[in-house]
Amino acid sequence: MPPTLTDRPARLSRTAYVELLMNLMRREIKGRYSQSFFGAGWAIAQPLATMAVFTLVFARLGQMPSDGAPYPLFAYAALVPWFFFSNSVNTGTMSLVTYRNIVTKTYFPREIVPLAQVGSRLVDFGAAAGLYVLLMIYYGVGVGPWGALVPVFLLLLLLFTLGVTLLTSAVNVFYRDVNPVVQIGLQLWLYLTPVAYPLSAVPAEYRWFFLLNPLTGVIEGLRAVLLFGRAPEWPVVAISASSIITLFVAAAVFFKKTDKYFADVI
Amino acid sequence: MSVAIQLEGASKRYRTGRSRTLVDLVASTVGEWRGRRAEVHSATRGTVDATIHALRDVSFEVPQGAGLGIIGRNGAGKTTLLKLISRVTWPTSGTVRVAGHVVSLIELGAGFHPELTGRENVYLGAGLFGLTRAEIDRQFDGIVHFADVERLIDTPMKRYSSGLYARLGFSVAIHSRPDIVLVDEVLAVGDATFRRRALEALRGLIAEGRTVLFISHDMWNVRRLCSQILWMEDGRVRAHGPAGEIAERYMNEVNLDAMANQDTALQSHRGGTGEVRFESVELVDEHGAPAATLRMGDTLEVRATYRAVQRVERPVFQVALVDVDTGVVITTASSSPADTPAFVEGEGGFVCRFPRVPLRPRQYVLRLAVMDQFQLASYDLITAGPRFAVVGQGAGVDSLADEQDGLVALPFEFAALGDRAAAGGRP
Repeated sequence: MPPTLTDRPARLSRTAYVELLMNLMRREIKGRYSQSFFGAGWAIAQPLATMAVFTLVFARLGQMPSDGAPYPLFAYAALVPWFFFSNSVNTGTMSLVTYRNIVTKTYFPREIVPLAQVGSRLVDFGAAAGLYVLLMIYYGVGVGPWGALVPVFLLLLLLFTLGVTLLTSAVNVFYRDVNPVVQIGLQLWLYLTPVAYPLSAVPAEYRWFFLLNPLTGVIEGLRAVLLFGRAPEWPVVAISASSIITLFVAAAVFFKKTDKYFADVI
Repeated sequence: MSVAIQLEGASKRYRTGRSRTLVDLVASTVGEWRGRRAEVHSATRGTVDATIHALRDVSFEVPQGAGLGIIGRNGAGKTTLLKLISRVTWPTSGTVRVAGHVVSLIELGAGFHPELTGRENVYLGAGLFGLTRAEIDRQFDGIVHFADVERLIDTPMKRYSSGLYARLGFSVAIHSRPDIVLVDEVLAVGDATFRRRALEALRGLIAEGRTVLFISHDMWNVRRLCSQILWMEDGRVRAHGPAGEIAERYMNEVNLDAMANQDTALQSHRGGTGEVRFESVELVDEHGAPAATLRMGDTLEVRATYRAVQRVERPVFQVALVDVDTGVVITTASSSPADTPAFVEGEGGFVCRFPRVPLRPRQYVLRLAVMDQFQLASYDLITAGPRFAVVGQGAGVDSLADEQDGLVALPFEFAALGDRAAAGGRP
């Protein structure tokens, strides 16, 4: 059958779409770690070193409570998802600009570029999570039945990361101001998220502020089911989950509405 | 015949200058409140309109299986046109309809990553054109063979030469089962062998019924590949029609412009030490009328005047005819004792006459030099002097000569052995 005239862009087959995403992820990962001696070992170094510093500063000097868990494990359990989020957003924001030469020269679904950035960080996440398992064994901490909820929180983490990355990468095409804002924002965000401290250490009058942060529910929840073997605080999870899903849908719609202008302004 | 590409009143506007900062945004918003048009403040030209009309109301159709050449000056909107068709960008108004899978060769190997091997990049690049792994597997050998990179296919592409890079990019693109191929000047990279193979591949695609849009400044390539030409000027369609007719009109105009701009042409591309300087260079036909276009076998005269600011002993005047695409065809010099004046001082001139120019129909440019008596150093050198075109008898695709056929036509006689009836011929 001869192709018919249309004013809409050609759609990739689902296989082609997934494979292109995989290829771009591979390109990212290879580009990041090729010609480096430790390779993906660097993916572990970042949360591990931060864990060491946090342990020294917050636990030793600051007497920070960790709800009874070993502090290094307590911090590491939150740092792994945190760095997945922050590294994804960090490089994802500039990704469309970095890929300018293909965005302005060939047509393909534009969201593949930020998606590949987030996807490539899954490898780092996997490596760092592997070390977490070793740390659990070292500290003799087991996983209870609540551990079955881990995939739910990881899915929320992924959706939130995708939503923020789609949004920042798209707006950054039009206003490069987004990138510095994101860089500064991520640094502050780490301290405003219960990573180095438990939510229970936050005074009651500030608690509402922490609940505005969707990552609070994800990180607190992950720690509850994985480290403390107890049920998460359901209201906190509910708030996080609903705001994450709303943000993701809004970001995806915004991205698809604006992507036809990317090549003009990039 | 079904239509592959259809544009109806397509326009594309861009904002100029800096990308919008908060300050610009505030300024233009305030301006719009006060009912002003978007404007840019320029120190040299005052306030100018801030929008560029890259394309204005462009309408045309391309039938499936056609080769369409797109010609025009830089900034005429040729590349914007291809970007609209490839969906990289969208028209500000009007519609662009396309039938089938479009592959654009706006930049060869744009999706490649230097750290990845050639093999990995083939999968990455073809994936950007919408192919699945299974489809690429089937095409892989063909891609590698066409690009001639078997030996280096598992080497990271940062070790590739730029020509090889482009070759693999081209090969991936044409093996991506395109219905429509967009080519933008990319054949300028790579060597002559590759250019020829690439052109042959594009011709093959047309023969298979694919549609090819081809931007090039090389009129000969355009005419060899394309049956139709779209001539763009200032974002509008200037003309659209049979390749031979449009190309002839375009070349005449370019040549007339070149004649009008000869003074500026003499100013640029100038070398030499300056003891003698050409003042004017003129191309005339046998009747003494200015000539920008001549037919094969016509007479061509080069008339030049010069001024020597100091006395120069036994200068040698050189006139070279240079093929625009391939280089020098012939160099003549006034080196015989009879031609060479003992000295020059003040103003002077010469005529160099080429009776019955045996050049094949192509575009040529004149190179002139005044050199010392040993032809080692030049007093004056004009590398890009006046241009002229030689045209054949017909106006079809064949009226421009292929560089493989050679550039010069010699009279010859052809006879079968043992047959007394000789077939004589003048090319």
